[in-house]
Amino acid sequence: MDFDFSPEEQKFAEEVDAWLVENRDPVVMDHHRENFTQLSDTPERRAFMKKLAAKGWLGMSWPKEFGGQEIEGVYEYILNEALSKHAAPQIGKGVGIIGKTLIRHGNDFLKQKFLPLILDAEIEFAVGYSEPEAGSDAANMQLRADKVEGGWLLNGQKMWTTSAHFADWYWVGARTDQDKPKHDGLSLFLIDMDNPNLEVQSLPTIGKDTTNQVFFDDVFVPDEYLVGQQGKGFQMISEALDLERFTMFTLSPIANRSEVLVDWVKEAKRDDEPLKDDTNVRRTIAHIMTDTAVAKALSTRFVCAAKSGGKPPTIESSQYKLFTTSLSQRVCKDALDIQGHEGTIMEGQDDAPLRGRFEGAYRATMNETVGGGSSEIQKNIIARRHLGLPKNF
Amino acid sequence: MDLELAEEQQMVIDMAKAMLEEHCPTQLVRDMEDDAHGVPAELWSQMSDLGLNGLLIPEEYGGGGLGLLEGAFVYEELGRAMAPVPHFVSCVLSAKVLLAAGSDAQKEAWLGKIADGSAILTPAWLEPERGQGEKGIALEAKSEGATFKLTGRKRSVPYASAADQLVVLARTDAGVDLFLVDPNASGVTMKQLLSQGREPQYQIDFDGVAVSAENRIGEAGTGWATWNAAMHEGIILLAAQAIGGADRCLVETVDYANQRIQFDKPLGAFQALAHYMADASTRIDGGRVLVHEAAWNADQGRTIARFAPMAKLFCCEAYRETTRVCAQIWGGVAFTIEYDQQMFFRRAKALQLSWWDTPYLEELIASDVLD
Repeated sequence: MDFDFSPEEQKFAEEVDAWLVENRDPVVMDHHRENFTQLSDTPERRAFMKKLAAKGWLGMSWPKEFGGQEIEGVYEYILNEALSKHAAPQIGKGVGIIGKTLIRHGNDFLKQKFLPLILDAEIEFAVGYSEPEAGSDAANMQLRADKVEGGWLLNGQKMWTTSAHFADWYWVGARTDQDKPKHDGLSLFLIDMDNPNLEVQSLPTIGKDTTNQVFFDDVFVPDEYLVGQQGKGFQMISEALDLERFTMFTLSPIANRSEVLVDWVKEAKRDDEPLKDDTNVRRTIAHIMTDTAVAKALSTRFVCAAKSGGKPPTIESSQYKLFTTSLSQRVCKDALDIQGHEGTIMEGQDDAPLRGRFEGAYRATMNETVGGGSSEIQKNIIARRHLGLPKNF
Repeated sequence: MDLELAEEQQMVIDMAKAMLEEHCPTQLVRDMEDDAHGVPAELWSQMSDLGLNGLLIPEEYGGGGLGLLEGAFVYEELGRAMAPVPHFVSCVLSAKVLLAAGSDAQKEAWLGKIADGSAILTPAWLEPERGQGEKGIALEAKSEGATFKLTGRKRSVPYASAADQLVVLARTDAGVDLFLVDPNASGVTMKQLLSQGREPQYQIDFDGVAVSAENRIGEAGTGWATWNAAMHEGIILLAAQAIGGADRCLVETVDYANQRIQFDKPLGAFQALAHYMADASTRIDGGRVLVHEAAWNADQGRTIARFAPMAKLFCCEAYRETTRVCAQIWGGVAFTIEYDQQMFFRRAKALQLSWWDTPYLEELIASDVLD
């Protein structure tokens, strides 16, 4: 048992850290802002991602024949954690979920077309799994894909596609077999977001970010843009989520939040008395930091399970996601409780504690226990696959 | 990073598990509740024979010389079995205090016997209406030439009636000191106190008990630091014990939930109940890694000022919460004495409040983080 990174891993962590200090861009890297790649898009962020690509840091775990370095996924974890420690954007779903699924299952055409674009940070993806009738129940997707000559015609609607308003390509699950059991009738497609028959309607959220609903009206997708085997969509989606969940919900943004709160509490005063001397505040901080340590322990367990190969780290991934996303919300809630009424002042207003960081985060983190497989889905996975409870629900 | 167990570590776990399954059935745990002596002879001698009592004691004193991580593996099994043994007080706390600060003569006299189980030592630490920190030690040890005279009251001294020596925390002119005291010495009186965990514990009155200065452990005024360090290591093991108890409680509950039919389906098929169990398993698995990380850090010689209290705070809360939701799943039988669930439920709370309770641990963590 060893909780340290290996010397090589440690060296890489230090290299990334030093590079991020040297290449600090205050526009892209801001500790007062939540910063997830997939939620926002600016020229500065695209430029930053190009710099990461130039360092060869995108797709490190990919096979060499596809431009990767064939090193373990733990390096991507280290990179992501370092990026979020510096409040920089993450390497994101292109490298992880989409790139790796294409490598595992995609045809040669898709590999040749998309993998180099991902490695060069030339492309932004949106992921379309959710639908009005299929949120957490991904197997219940109803978007129809009907076979026509040379391709497929897609009709229906997607919901909660976070980056559809700026993405270049759309990674979409659709029902290709109407008569098969629902898990077996789904397939994955890549769709050009410029397709005129796709209509993106933005949905403002209570956070700062926008999500979207997307309407498909006879959207034609050529045959070669079917990802992997027809009917294996659900299996590919599940596999990617199991393997790549730590690229979607890295720990550092959450650990960062705890640290930012601690640093603030250390300095803050109320009626001239140090806030940190308040017993309730001390107790709250003790629990936040303890739970953050547990979240870190669960992430270590997840990364080690992923690293050891063998079976996908499904349980480790679900437990990590369940615990961590709930902690993330709790930290924001507790921070507002500590800040009291002043905590409700929004970013940009005078007198907002920490420039409104926790007010904004409180609203923004609401999606974490819902997106990427809701907490209840994670509990079902744990109950059935880990504890062996019956599948009746 | 690598969380795989070494082969020898897995062997330690398997050995402890197999021995406890054979020699520590639930009936034994029940039989020992409120027993005045409290040490089941056969189990204790099995533990000695297998080297578990000397696990953390260096080889030169007849122990196994293993680290806290291996200790954590064994403690998870002890917790799973609810083993009613004085291992923690004797083989962990007393041994660690002697190892850290004892004289050569004290180490020679006791460590070998602790390791082979032939002697039991137990700390007399807590006092009525006093806290768990250094300020809590009021029992007076008055220096009179080459002896100290101890006067005052200790409460909740575990296994005191079975102890060959008490490790008494007392206040001297120099601060807090630790003394080895013969429980049969003149002026020592004991009275059993029943408590929630149902292990034997005693109120002990010291009425001018004469203790030779040679029986002070360590330099004058260093007793609290020695005790504090031993406790930090010890509570990591108790966190492991909590995980073991929680894990068994959950495993038995899952088994029950798979078999018990209500409304025409197994209890486990009800999502409300399945989710309780999924949450419990997540807390248990997360807590276990935190314990291992804390123990591993201690074995690496790194500070555990933050990790150790975090491990105990989290794992004991996980144990208590697991027993609460499991009782909910078992329903009415959970609170009948006939079923074992109530034993976990009581022990979880008792362990949470023993050996540094929640507010004390919270403050340790907060002061490390904030001050």
